[in-house]
Amino acid sequence: MRPTPSFQYHAPKTLEGAIELMGTLENVKPIIGGTDLIPQMKEGVFSPDHVVDLNNVAELNYVREDNGLICIGATATHNQIAASDAVKKSQALLDAMTMIGSPQIRNRGTITGNLINASPAADSAPPLLVHDAEVVIRSIDEERIIPLTALFTGPKLNCLEQNELLTEIRFPTPPVNSASAFKRIGRRKAFTLSVVSAAAYVEMEGERCVDARVAFGSVAMTPIRASEVEDMLEDKTLTASIIAEACLAARNHVHPITDVRGTAEYRKDMCEVLLRRALEAALERVR
Amino acid sequence: MIVNFDLNGEPVSVEVEPNMSLVDMLREELGINSVKKGCELGECGACTLLLDGSPVTSCLLLAPQVEGCHVTTLEGLEKNSLMIDLREAFIENGAIQCGFCTPGMLISSYALLRDNLHPSAYQVKKGIEGNICRCTGFTKIIEAVLDAAERITPE
Ligand SMILES: Cc1cc2nc3c(=O)[nH]c(=O)nc-3n(C[C@H](O)[C@H](O)[C@H](O)COP(=O)(O)OP(=O)(O)OC[C@H]3O[C@@H](n4cnc5c(N)ncnc54)[C@H](O)[C@@H]3O)c2cc1C
Ligand code: FES
Ligand code: FES
Repeated sequence: MRPTPSFQYHAPKTLEGAIELMGTLENVKPIIGGTDLIPQMKEGVFSPDHVVDLNNVAELNYVREDNGLICIGATATHNQIAASDAVKKSQALLDAMTMIGSPQIRNRGTITGNLINASPAADSAPPLLVHDAEVVIRSIDEERIIPLTALFTGPKLNCLEQNELLTEIRFPTPPVNSASAFKRIGRRKAFTLSVVSAAAYVEMEGERCVDARVAFGSVAMTPIRASEVEDMLEDKTLTASIIAEACLAARNHVHPITDVRGTAEYRKDMCEVLLRRALEAALERVR
Repeated sequence: MIVNFDLNGEPVSVEVEPNMSLVDMLREELGINSVKKGCELGECGACTLLLDGSPVTSCLLLAPQVEGCHVTTLEGLEKNSLMIDLREAFIENGAIQCGFCTPGMLISSYALLRDNLHPSAYQVKKGIEGNICRCTGFTKIIEAVLDAAERITPE
């Protein structure tokens, strides 16, 4: 294994300190879990001159519910998020947090790194998309808050400038008459990248679905919402045939590619299957 | 740069290059050989150790990242009663063949049983899903962990 190229290591203790380093150093990369960045540095994808470790910035480490928003600080790990009371209210995100990688990866990896890495297969993305999540981005000059849909600009591409840090992920607390679920398929059961993944969110008034949200991973250039499919579920009683119709339609709203993990046709088939499983699991949970 | 941390209960101070991985610092500078280098990409689990009590893969950490932390490897758990039960159960159940995965497996199994004294077979599988074994086919390892859970003497 080629050694990680040499760089200067910085471990700021405050957010202000971290932002200042990001704004003044050239060719700089932040690191949290390192579960994406370290392999990428070993493989030569990135060769930063400076690495800014955010793990000592105490003010970025939290998961809390605040004024109707569930807020996740940048350095909260998958395991820390899964153990928090706030995230118990989003079953889809909880599903993803307990599925990603392995215990070792979940003890280090973060949603921040998962989103910034911007893989179309990022498992935290579909659950956050169905919750209409936003991300908070800071630099020396400004703070901006953007919808998660605007963060992804292509496969492995995001809209951050070199001097910017993602500091928080947040979404509205799901109402009690709602539920969600996340399902994925990999080449094997444990410890693998998703070939396709699907998240579903439903808000019910009695038997009627008043709000439906659907998102997929690994079927387009970025993780995506499927609003045409959502329209087929909203203001309906979600009978088996309505669900089957929407799942069938999902095939036409995704644009998968063929690669080493699966063919485009297989991925379309799996969209149909996983969306049905996710919707059924969500409905089961709402009752 | 100098890194100061607690290794198996002893304070240590090591001079490293910032791009050195934790597993290399332990093996090359500190003579800790239970952490193995397999994939060096976080995928095989052979380099697993406990960082402030939680299992992590030491090939994905930079040496300077453990400044001020507690690092525990198999060497530091030699006299730990739970680890003794696990070790004996691994030997008696034939859960070791070449032994390369064993230190990592023991650390992951230790963390699992420490937090959950009576795991189901499914929970054992989830607990060791980040550790790959090329020899045993996993069945005997899962049996060994379940067997160790039976042996644990309540304190
Ligand atoms: C063995 C293994 C299994 C895995 N399994 C899965 C899986 O099942 N599903 C899945 O989706 N992923 C998986 N991954 C990928 C990875 O673990 C996740 O994407 C993880 O969540 C990344 O988080 P991190 O904190 O480790 O990111 P890091 O590696 O620390 O950072 C990732 C990127 O984000 C940048 N960055 C970090 N913090 C910030 C910030 N605050 N602002 C701006 N940029 C920032 C870094 O510079 C880097 O480019 C796996 C990885 C490994 C090694
Ligand atoms: S060597 Fe660290 S996980 Fe394989
Ligand atoms: S005993 Fe050989 S790899 Fe597990």
